[in-house]
Amino acid sequence: MEERNFAVINHETPRLESIDKATGSGKYTDDLSVPNMAYAVLVRSPYSHAKVLSINMSEAERVPGYLGCALPKDSPQVYFNCSGNPPSPLLMADERVLTDEPLVLGDRVAVVAAETETAARAAAEAVKVEYEIIAPVLDVKAALAPNTPALQPHIALDNIIQRRDVAQGNIAAGEVASDNIMGDRFVTPAMQHTTIELTCCVADFSDGEHITIYSCSQTVFQERRILAEIFGLKESNVRIIKPLVGAGFGARQQLHAQHVAALISRRIGRPVKLLYTREEDFYSVMRHASDVDLRIGVDKSGKLQLFDTTFRLNAGPYTTHTPTVVAAAARKLQYNVPNYSFVGLSVFTNHITGGAFRGYGNTQLTFGREILMDRLAQKLGMDPVEFRLMNHVQVGQCFPCASIPVSSNGIEDCARRCQQLQREIDRREPLIDDDEIRQAWGISFSCHGSGPSSKEGLSSAVIMVNDDATVQLLVGSSDIGQGSETMESQIAAESLGISLEDVHIKAADTGLTPYDTGTFGSSQTFICGNAVVRACDDLKRKILTQLRVIYPDAEVEQLGKRYLVEANGEKTEMTFSQAIHKIMFDPHGCVPIGAGTYKAAACPNPFSVCFVKAEYYKKLNALRLLDVIEVVDVGTPINRMTVAGQLEGGIAQGVGYALYERMEINPRSHRTLSTDFLHYRIPQMGDMPRTHVDMVSSYDPYGPHGAKSVGELATVPVAPAIVNAARRASGMEINSLPLCDTFVILPAKRGGVK
Amino acid sequence: MADKTYRIQMTLNHERRTFFVTQGETLLQLLREQARLTGTKKGCDLGECGACTVIMDGRAVNSCCVFALCADGSTVETIEGIGTPEHLHPLQQAFIDVGAIQCGFCTPGMIMAAKALLDSNPHPTGEEIQAAMSGNLCRCTGYTKIEQAIAVAAKVIDAYANGKETRT
Repeated sequence: MEERNFAVINHETPRLESIDKATGSGKYTDDLSVPNMAYAVLVRSPYSHAKVLSINMSEAERVPGYLGCALPKDSPQVYFNCSGNPPSPLLMADERVLTDEPLVLGDRVAVVAAETETAARAAAEAVKVEYEIIAPVLDVKAALAPNTPALQPHIALDNIIQRRDVAQGNIAAGEVASDNIMGDRFVTPAMQHTTIELTCCVADFSDGEHITIYSCSQTVFQERRILAEIFGLKESNVRIIKPLVGAGFGARQQLHAQHVAALISRRIGRPVKLLYTREEDFYSVMRHASDVDLRIGVDKSGKLQLFDTTFRLNAGPYTTHTPTVVAAAARKLQYNVPNYSFVGLSVFTNHITGGAFRGYGNTQLTFGREILMDRLAQKLGMDPVEFRLMNHVQVGQCFPCASIPVSSNGIEDCARRCQQLQREIDRREPLIDDDEIRQAWGISFSCHGSGPSSKEGLSSAVIMVNDDATVQLLVGSSDIGQGSETMESQIAAESLGISLEDVHIKAADTGLTPYDTGTFGSSQTFICGNAVVRACDDLKRKILTQLRVIYPDAEVEQLGKRYLVEANGEKTEMTFSQAIHKIMFDPHGCVPIGAGTYKAAACPNPFSVCFVKAEYYKKLNALRLLDVIEVVDVGTPINRMTVAGQLEGGIAQGVGYALYERMEINPRSHRTLSTDFLHYRIPQMGDMPRTHVDMVSSYDPYGPHGAKSVGELATVPVAPAIVNAARRASGMEINSLPLCDTFVILPAKRGGVK
Repeated sequence: MADKTYRIQMTLNHERRTFFVTQGETLLQLLREQARLTGTKKGCDLGECGACTVIMDGRAVNSCCVFALCADGSTVETIEGIGTPEHLHPLQQAFIDVGAIQCGFCTPGMIMAAKALLDSNPHPTGEEIQAAMSGNLCRCTGYTKIEQAIAVAAKVIDAYANGKETRT
C-alpha cells in the first residue's frame, strides 16, 4: 500500500478556474459568439399529447430578421436515444429530432432561425400549429391500467419499456424466516435539476459535412456519437467542445437540442446559438417520479431476512435513461439480505421525460428503504444506528446479487462521527419536548458506486511534457462545476511529484482530448482519476527508459518520485524537473509522453451517514429543520474543499427534495405549473438548516491514491433522514414527498456563521 | 426592422459610456450584448435567480428587470469593475479561498449582491447576510461557504478600513 503522507491531494485546494469565475472572465456557452452567428428557437408542443395537423409559417416568415425553419418533415427520420450513456440494448431508440406527434409538454415540433434572439423568439411565437389534442396519461398506475393505449406501441404494448428482475434466495423462505415484516408504498415526486445556467449550445453545421458544437455537456463523446448517427457522419467529423458549465447534476447527461441546432444550421448555412428559456429548462428533464412497494422482514435478533420490492419509475414518453436508472437502483442495497427480490418497471407516460439526476435510482429506492428500516428499528426497540450496522455488508462481502466484494468500508466510523457531532449539538441545545414543540433526530445510511458500473466506465488520459518540466494533461471527462479538472490535476501532480501549478489541464473537447465515457455515475475521481495515474506511471516509465539510453553505463532506477543514476560508484538523484531537462536537451533525448487508460474493473462503494435534527410544532402541525450532519467514507478525499462542497450542496438538494420540490401538473390543462422559480421553489440561503460535514479516514485499494466517489452519494441519504426526523418528532408515518403536503414548513433559524 | 433607438449615458465600471438602446432592451442585454460584459449572467430573465445582479446607484438590482432606458444617467457596477486577477476585491478573494465557487454561474451575481450589502452595512449579522442574499439562487454549494465567504470578506474590508492591514 502506498504511503499516505500526500503532498498535493487530501488537502483543501481552491479550484484552478476560481479566479476566472470570480472575476466574470470565465466563458460559459451563452457567453460565446462566433462570426456570422444566427439564433434558433424551438416551437414546442403546448400539450402533453397531441397530433400536429398543420403548420403555417406565413406570419413567422414576415418577422424582420427571419432566416428559415425546419419542420418535422425536414427532420432526419432516424430514431435515437438521447441519453449520454454508451450504447446498450437497454436504451431503446424512440425519439426523433422533430416530431409531428408530440408525446410530452414541450416536445420539439419545429425550429426557426433569425438574425437576433429576440427576432427568433418572435418568429417562433408566430408559427401557427394546429393540433389534435389527445388525452394524456400522466401517472404510472394509469399507464399500467389494462385499457390504457400504448404510447410507443413499437416498443411496448403495455407501456412497460422494460421489466428488470433481480433476485437471490427465495421470498417465501424469507417470509418464513422473518418474525417481523413491515411494508408500505412509497411515492416520490418528479424533481428538476434547476442548474442556474440555462441550457445552451452554439452549433455550426453550415458546410453540411462537419459539425462543431459548443455545448454545456456532461458527456461530449456520447453527444458526438449520437449526432454522428443522426446525421450519418463519421465521428471524426463531429467536434463537441465544452466551455465552462453552470452545473449538471445529470441534466446534461443527454442531448437537449444540439441536434436541432445542427439541423437548422445546415439549412440556413450559418452557425446558430440555441438558448433555452427557464421554462424550457424546467420541462426538459426530470428526476423520475417513483411509485414503490417495499417489504422488509427481520428475525428476532434483528437480522434482515427479506427485502422485496416492486420499483416503478415514471419515464415520460421516451426511453432515454429509464431502464439504466432502474438497473442502478437494484445495485445499491448495502445490507446483507439472504432473500432479495427486485422487480423494476420502466413505465411510459406523457409526464415530463425522466433522465439522469444525481442519485440515479438510488435516491428513490433508498428513500423507502431507510424509512422502513427506521420503523423496524423502533418496533424492535433497537437503536437505529446499531440496527443498520449489524446488517451492513462488510469488506470482503458482496451486496445482494453483486459479484464484486466490497473493497473498503468506513460506514461505522461515519456513524460514530455523526454520533459525536450529535452529542456536541445536544450538549449545547438539549432536545426539547414540551406542550408546544418536540424535537427529534432522524438518521439514514446510503451508498453509491464510483462509476456507472464495473463494466461501463472507460476513460483515458495523456500527459505531454514541456521543456520547462511543466506538463499538459489531456482528459476527455467534463468538469461541470464539481471541480474534476482540479481533482485530476491534483492526482497528476501527486503521481509525478510536481507542484499543482505545473499541471495545465485541457478537458472535454472531442477534437483534442482522449475518449472518456462521460461525467456521470460519480465516475470522474475513480475512473478518470485511475486513467490519470496510469498516464503518469507510463510517463515515469518512459523517463526511466530514456535516462537509461542517455546513461548506458549507469544503473538507473526510480526512487519514489525521484530518479537515481549510479555510475562508477557516484550517485546522482534527479527530481522530475531535472530528469525532464536532461532528457529533452540531451543528444539522445526525446519528448516523453505518457498515456493511460482505465476500463472499470471495480466500482468501489463510497458510504454516507446522515443525521437530521428537526422540530415539530404540535399545535401548528409545522416542521422546521435545525441541523443536518453528513459524514462520508469516500476513500482518500482528493480535494477536501470540493468534497465538503459536494456534501453541502448535496444536502441542499436533499432539503429541497424532502420539503417542497415537485414538478406539478395541472390536472385539467395537463400543463405544468412549475415554469419558473416562483412556482418551483428551491432552497434559498435563509432556508438552509445548519450543516455539519466531515470525511472519515479511509483508503480504497482500487482507487487512485485510495479515492472513491462523492458527488451523487452526498444527496441520497438526506431526504429519508429528514423524513425519519419528522416521523420521530411528529409521531406521524410518512411515505411520500414533498413534506409540504403533510406539514407547514417553517423557515430555518440558524443564526450566522461563526 | 430597425426599432427606434435612444441615446443613453451611464457610468459603467467607472467609465462614462454612451449606448443606443431600444425601448424593450434590458440592462442585462445592454451589458452582455452591447458592452460585451458577459460576467453578468442570464439564469432566468424573470428576476427570480439573481445571476444577473449588478449594482446600480448603490443598490443591487436584477439587471434583467431593469430597462436599459431607466439606466440613463445612472452609475452601474458589474463583476468586471470591482477587481482584476491581480487585485481581487476581498469578496472575490474570499469566495475563492473558502471554496464558495463551484460551477460559478451564480458567483458574479452573488458577489455583486454581497458587495451591495457590505457597501451599505459593513458589519452584517448572519441573518442580515441571509436576508440580503435571498434573491440569489445557487444549486451547487448549499450556500454554507458563500455565507462564510461574505463574513470573511466583511472582516477583511473592516481591517483595511481601520488601517489594520494595508493592501500589497
